[in-house]
Amino acid sequence: MDAGAGIEVTGVRRAFGSVLAVDHIDLQARPGEVTALVGPNGAGKTTLLLMLATLLTPDAGSIRIAGFDPVAAPQEIRATMGWMPDGFGTWDALTVREVLETVAAAYRMAPGQARTRAAELLELLHLGDLADRPARVLSRGQKQRLGLARALVHHPSVLLLDEPASGLDPRSRIELRDILRQLAASGATLLVSSHILTELQEIADRAVIVARGRSVAVQDLNSGSGSGDESAHRVSQWRITSLDPPRLMAALAHHGVATQTLTDAVDVEVAGDIAASALLAQLVGDGIPITAFAPSYGALETAYLAATEDRQ
Amino acid sequence: MSAQGIRTIAVLELRQRLRTSRWPIVLGIWILIIGAVAGLTWWAVSSQPGDPATTLVGDRGTTLYDVVLFFVLGLGMLVVPSLTATSINGDREHGVLATLQTTLLTPADIVVGKLLAAWAISLAFLLAASPFLVWAWIAGGVEVGRMLLAVTVLLFVLAVVCAMGLMFSALTARTIASAVLTYLTVAALTFGTVIAFLISMPIMATEQTVRVKTVPDAWFQQNQPANPDNQTFTEPTAADCVYVTRVQSIMHTERTWWLLALNPFVVVADAAPSRKPVTFLGFEPLQQISDGARAARMGTTAQSLNECWPETQPSQEMNAMSQQQQEQLMRQEQQLQRDRLNKVPAVWPYGFVFLGALGAASTWVAVRRLRTPIRRLPRGTRIA
Repeated sequence: MDAGAGIEVTGVRRAFGSVLAVDHIDLQARPGEVTALVGPNGAGKTTLLLMLATLLTPDAGSIRIAGFDPVAAPQEIRATMGWMPDGFGTWDALTVREVLETVAAAYRMAPGQARTRAAELLELLHLGDLADRPARVLSRGQKQRLGLARALVHHPSVLLLDEPASGLDPRSRIELRDILRQLAASGATLLVSSHILTELQEIADRAVIVARGRSVAVQDLNSGSGSGDESAHRVSQWRITSLDPPRLMAALAHHGVATQTLTDAVDVEVAGDIAASALLAQLVGDGIPITAFAPSYGALETAYLAATEDRQ
Repeated sequence: MSAQGIRTIAVLELRQRLRTSRWPIVLGIWILIIGAVAGLTWWAVSSQPGDPATTLVGDRGTTLYDVVLFFVLGLGMLVVPSLTATSINGDREHGVLATLQTTLLTPADIVVGKLLAAWAISLAFLLAASPFLVWAWIAGGVEVGRMLLAVTVLLFVLAVVCAMGLMFSALTARTIASAVLTYLTVAALTFGTVIAFLISMPIMATEQTVRVKTVPDAWFQQNQPANPDNQTFTEPTAADCVYVTRVQSIMHTERTWWLLALNPFVVVADAAPSRKPVTFLGFEPLQQISDGARAARMGTTAQSLNECWPETQPSQEMNAMSQQQQEQLMRQEQQLQRDRLNKVPAVWPYGFVFLGALGAASTWVAVRRLRTPIRRLPRGTRIA
């Protein structure tokens, strides 16, 4: 992998006066992947994103974005980084199109180029109907989409998204997921912070869990988006439901599979998709009445709860 | 800093302001006030008795010009701080500053763009007042060059006020704080300098031995009759004056006149007074301000120590003259005083340089405060 690409955070620390917002965070976000940043409120996610967005200097530790240090070379990073902050404002009096054209001009695009790019983004984020409305009349979800469009204006290769899905309707969420996956597939590095774990599970390849200003765990998520050989051998959780739970348990024990019993189902850990389909064939061959056999999306939730257990 | 970046911000600012604020109403009120002042001045000048060519009134245009420019400056100082004093912290509050800071725009692009937009609006206010200046010009008595110099210096002063507003809006988190600080600074420059100057006068005064030309006490003892009702009373003449030496308190305004030069009103007034020989109408603020500042710079001179009143106020001779001759004499006397003041080097260049440095320093501070990434976050401020 290209050492210069993506985001690399090592031992970063940042205090505001006596308040330690970020204590020690290590994080790696690779190109072509969506990395999730999860953690309880006040865990230091937004402070970390501000440091990544070249707005705040870390007290200690090092940050590399696309190979550049945000303190020494902020302009180089800005040219390749898109940032969508949480709860940003917008220029109320400007129309949606003008907002995008202004941001394009701020990225030094020529007027003609800016117009073309604005039109592309209006199309991509389904804002075409609202293009000539003032930005202040947009609903929260529409504003979020405008915020994402704004972050994408200059074709960034690194994207920092703070709660991008908040306020989006279900359809927009699915579209957002597709856009983010598309960007990742084209080689961009995405770092997404969110509270909605099930959704991150669908979007993200990996999750970094932060609590009390420290990165406490890294969870691999089998997003199932087929990133080649790697996902074929990745250990992941599957959830099995049967009409006859005792027989299912006996069969799983017989095949030597680690299990975790839930009230109405059982979670098993299987290394890769091929092993999972082989296990299903065995269970069916054993005559177990299986009603559901699916990837378990509870993995992130479990890891998150385990990592943040000591919260007051 | 680049022209493209500055333009991007300036266009953004102007668009926002033109669409959101009630500028047509403000501009309308502005024109009404200036118009009313101009109209009243014209009425007052026109209703002076006598023929303008021969009486003490002089050219009506100069008075109109003087009063209109004074009000444009005075009202401008009230309006202009509101254009920038909440600009940067207001943007922070609305969450639109950080998203600009993460683009390729530099802090200088943002600050200079905002400054330019605010200055363009103050230019619009000046343009709205310009018909009244044209009226004064048509009425006659003011040179175009002088008028242009005055307007240029006025626009410069307003740009400095804009820059100070920007600095305070970059320094404070709350918009109210920056607005108050900006208005306080404007007040300190306009009133504070005058108060400081007045206080400095007794402090700087010294007891000095001076030569004064005066009618000696001995003359009165010789010539004044014991009985005041005696009709043979004679007046002293200029020839009776002698030089005497005495100790008296002398003001040294020539040491502290520069306090007045810092005043924006003095800068504008002194850059372009109408410079007409006669100052007889009650209200010609710029002319009076300029005269006052130059008299202060001149300090105590031989003329001001001339107490020989038969020479300076030849009342006896005047009594014998016709009214026209009397006015002629006073005109000459005032022209003499004007010539003396004109010989004093101009006061405004000092203030001009000072205000220029103040504006440049304010802009620099604002640019510095917008630099990212930030190491130390000031109390109460937010980044995004």
